[in-house]
Amino acid sequence: MMGPIVHADGLSKAFQSVRALDDVSFDVAEGEWIAIMGPSGSGKTTLINILGGLDQPTSGRAVVDGVEVGSLNERGLTRYRSEKIGFVFQQFHLVPYLSAVENVMLAQYFHSMADEPQAAEALVRVGLGDRLQHLPGQLSGGEQQRVALARALINQPKLILADEPTGNLDEANERIVLDLFCELHDAGHTILLVTHSAEIGRMADRRIELAHGRLAHIAANRR
Amino acid sequence: MFWRILSRLLWASRGRLLLALLAVTSGAAVCAALVNLDLDAGEKFTREFRALGANVIVSPEAEQDSAPSMDTDVMARIAALHAPEVVAAAPYLYIAAQAGTQTNPVPVIVAGTWFDQVSLMNSWWKVDGQWVTQRDDSARCMVGRDAARQLGLAPGSPVTLRYSGRQAQFIVAGVVTAGGSEDSQIFISLSAAQSLAQLGDRAALAQVSVRGSAPVLEDFVGRLSAALPGLEVRPVRQLAVAEGRLLERIRSLLFVTVLLILVLSAMGVLAATAGLAIERRRDVGLMKAIGGSVRRVMRFFLAEALVIAVAGGALGGGLGLLLSQWIGWRVFSAAIAPRLVVLPLTIAVMIFVALAGALPLRLLGRVRPAEILRGE
Repeated sequence: MMGPIVHADGLSKAFQSVRALDDVSFDVAEGEWIAIMGPSGSGKTTLINILGGLDQPTSGRAVVDGVEVGSLNERGLTRYRSEKIGFVFQQFHLVPYLSAVENVMLAQYFHSMADEPQAAEALVRVGLGDRLQHLPGQLSGGEQQRVALARALINQPKLILADEPTGNLDEANERIVLDLFCELHDAGHTILLVTHSAEIGRMADRRIELAHGRLAHIAANRR
Repeated sequence: MFWRILSRLLWASRGRLLLALLAVTSGAAVCAALVNLDLDAGEKFTREFRALGANVIVSPEAEQDSAPSMDTDVMARIAALHAPEVVAAAPYLYIAAQAGTQTNPVPVIVAGTWFDQVSLMNSWWKVDGQWVTQRDDSARCMVGRDAARQLGLAPGSPVTLRYSGRQAQFIVAGVVTAGGSEDSQIFISLSAAQSLAQLGDRAALAQVSVRGSAPVLEDFVGRLSAALPGLEVRPVRQLAVAEGRLLERIRSLLFVTVLLILVLSAMGVLAATAGLAIERRRDVGLMKAIGGSVRRVMRFFLAEALVIAVAGGALGGGLGLLLSQWIGWRVFSAAIAPRLVVLPLTIAVMIFVALAGALPLRLLGRVRPAEILRGE
């Protein structure tokens, strides 16, 4: 039997006197969609950042696809982020002076080498075939988030980490983006998605609920 | 992809980068002009110095006889050296003659010389009236300011010179102000002086004006000494030393000015890139979050600084060469040779200046992506 793709063991993170994450442990199997839920300040983003190699835990271990994230140096973390992780942020975080296709190519460039036809194909898959050369400022919020999704997927990451990806979208665009996440899940991608929405939480395989930095509840959704 | 992103970066920040480009270009222009001037300064300044008079004296050795003089064929032997560094050379025969009236004679030193060479050698003299430019002009003379005042002479006045019962008449062409012993002398042609003193082809000394640095001067003196055995050839050492010191000071001034301008250019770049760095923090954080290594991300921003340095250095270098031409004509009334080595040198220096000034951009490498994404 294959081991979990994500193994969190006693993860804690303190910012000065504030404990943002406190002894959190869980496993995620390959292909699972996990919704991370909880009120603001419960440590959801901190957890995502540690798993994504953007932050280091104060104590505990985070092992993703066999790599212990906390043991990596700066160079190792860079490589880890480019090869194993696909990030989707609430604020989209696209480079404003690069076109949609160039934003996707940028992730390719940092991973290995840019391939414009492949980047364009990724945008076609998220329904933006006619927006390749548009700058982020010329795209709607939903379109920008789809570009971010195409960028997150372009290097075939082992784990997709999405931090409230629909938090800034209207209902119609939220639906489009969630449909894309469903497609990714159906295609076998492992997804950890931070959300406040109970409805989105129910779409995942399991829900991990945090409160005051602690693991409050893990529940499987009925299908 | 690298160049594509770089071109987008340059275009996105064109306002701030234009300011940095302006700082580098203006700094490069002034530096290139001064460096080009410095490379040509030795020749230009020594040429200017040569207008200040002779710097080599040829004279008979003192112990030869009581009134030492030498044959004027010494001038032919100086000319036979075909030394390109010789600006002018003139023989001098000094006689203690009398001017004024028969009843009221006034003693005066008369210098017989080659007028055409004297005007070349002493172009800094202030002349009221006209220079005499024909070597053997026996009808006209030039009178020092003090002598003219004492004898009541002005341009166009007749003057009679007497020596040992002989006399010769001249018309004053110009009154000379030189600020030295020349101001109390009367200058006539060498042939007229020889005729007045009945000294055939004799001269008391020769003055030579030699262009070049101290080593060039020393080399010339050595060659001239070898060509003129029995005669004393000596450089006017005070003049050579003063010229050397002045040249050194001018070069130091140029160096300090260039240094100061480079620092100011770096500060200009610093000011322009400081704002840019704040704008770029978010981009750098994001690029690092999606897998960009510090080296790869920083390469974009350092390449930006390099583009500014090369463009500003080349543009400013070209402008600087033109500027040095203008300065050359204004200050030296002569063209300054454009030295092409100045161009790569300016670009190299500007790369250093731009990289030093782009310190805020280099600090972007320390940006922590999690902090940026949290909005800190």
